Amino acid sequence: MTISARSAKPFLLIAPAAVLLGVFLVLPYINIGIMSFRNPGNGSPYAPGFTTGNYLRLFSDSFYLVQVGNTLMIGAITTLACLVLGFPVAWQLARSQMRFRGLAYGLVLSPLLVGIVIRSYGWTILLGNNGMINRTLINMGLIDRPLALMYNSLGIVIALVHVFLPFMILPLMSAIQGIDPSIEAAARSLGAGRVTAFRRIVLPLAMPGIQAGCILVFVLSLSAYVTPSLIGGLRVKTMAVSVVDALIDTFQWPFGSAMALLLSLTGALVVLIFARLTRMKWKAN
Amino acid sequence: MSKPLLTGYCLIIYAFLLLPILVVVGASFNAGAFLTFPPQGLSFRWYVVFFNNDVFMRAIRTSLWVAAVSTIISGVIGTMAAMFYIQHSGRWKESVRLAMLLPLLLPEVLTAISLLFFVYSIGIGTKTIAAMIIGHVLITLPFVFINVSAAMESYDPSWSLAARSLGAGPFTRFRRIMLPLIKPGVIGGCLFAFIISFDIFTISFMLKNIGTATLPIQLYDYLRTNFTPEAAAVSTVSIVLTLAVVIISEKVLGLRIHRF
Repeated sequence: MTISARSAKPFLLIAPAAVLLGVFLVLPYINIGIMSFRNPGNGSPYAPGFTTGNYLRLFSDSFYLVQVGNTLMIGAITTLACLVLGFPVAWQLARSQMRFRGLAYGLVLSPLLVGIVIRSYGWTILLGNNGMINRTLINMGLIDRPLALMYNSLGIVIALVHVFLPFMILPLMSAIQGIDPSIEAAARSLGAGRVTAFRRIVLPLAMPGIQAGCILVFVLSLSAYVTPSLIGGLRVKTMAVSVVDALIDTFQWPFGSAMALLLSLTGALVVLIFARLTRMKWKAN
Repeated sequence: MSKPLLTGYCLIIYAFLLLPILVVVGASFNAGAFLTFPPQGLSFRWYVVFFNNDVFMRAIRTSLWVAAVSTIISGVIGTMAAMFYIQHSGRWKESVRLAMLLPLLLPEVLTAISLLFFVYSIGIGTKTIAAMIIGHVLITLPFVFINVSAAMESYDPSWSLAARSLGAGPFTRFRRIMLPLIKPGVIGGCLFAFIISFDIFTISFMLKNIGTATLPIQLYDYLRTNFTPEAAAVSTVSIVLTLAVVIISEKVLGLRIHRF
């Protein structure tokens, strides 16, 4: 028997955290669910009574549906780009015994220590019409007019990939670390080519890490606010930017709640489908 | 991929990860009035402008203050929760862990909006800084919890039992036996909580009270209308502050911070 079983009131230890999470996380989420069915107010944030009008307005207005579509697309491309770009790096970090492994690991983590506003600001300096990339290309005589790198989805994706790449590399790395290299060696010795060994052995075994990384990056990109707002400007708005702007500028609480929930639920649905599909493939192999 | 090719590829990715940060630091020394490239000479003029800019200096003080208060609250609550999780949670262990990580798993923007409506519904509103601090505590709590519970995994409950048999009360047992042993986890978690709170944007942006701005909010507002290198100077100082915290904790105190 441990000391814990006999000590007076262990639940007092968890009580502050439970109260904090219950009151300031669970209740607000219930509240926003109710809020999304409130009547829009006139002069006040909302009026008494309930309605499904907020959701109907979202589903009947193609402007918002296109925006949801764009946001999901930006999230999906960002996730895919992070996976493709990050996998080799995760592989090297997990497998090689190079001298600078600690330094490389630090390099992957270091962007996480710099605030998101600053990192997005760095991309505005790089991508702008008069930014570093365009200036350099023009000075080198490679292009005449600046390339459109900012105020569009391309710029948002580039910056989001940068911001979320570490969140992909870390779970991939720990998944690859768990794969015994001798399994691959065995497959190779039985005649499997490099590609086959990778596809049939490494990929299925790394699947939990791929899944975790993809879900993390996808969810984070859907709810990103600062990066799309600074890079996209007024021209390209993702759903998260619209929601926050609608709430800050116009105080349409019920409609804003419905928008925020629609985005989150669609995101959750995509994540569920993705988890389902990847697990099925994994089992089939 | 062959080995040199893989190494070359990885170097490109590392450069990509560092690029925007280096660009900001470089831009802060630009002598020109605008962010032009190539820079018009080197100068510290934008640092002088920044240090004389009351708005930014106030924002730094607010950020440090909010981060300190949030870290202390999260540090205490998170450490207590980690003690419960490791020693008492029994068959609820997985549920407790999931609940404690919840603020990390939910989209920050939705948490921010929900909390904004909620503080208005219960009458606190955003007239004081309390709402913002609650938000920061919520977001930083998981980081303290992860670090402290990782440190406690290796703590043997029989040490507390031994102290108890020698007549130590619960508080003495915690202060004299457990705390010294889990201290690296507590300090590491708190330092990371501090950095997160110092850098966090969306929660602060939604829950700020009028007239108060943290450094990221002030910087964001500034960037929407201004293009001078002053913002780069502000960012560089912020990066240096964070780096100092990390280097002191990892090199001087010899800590390893668990980020996930």
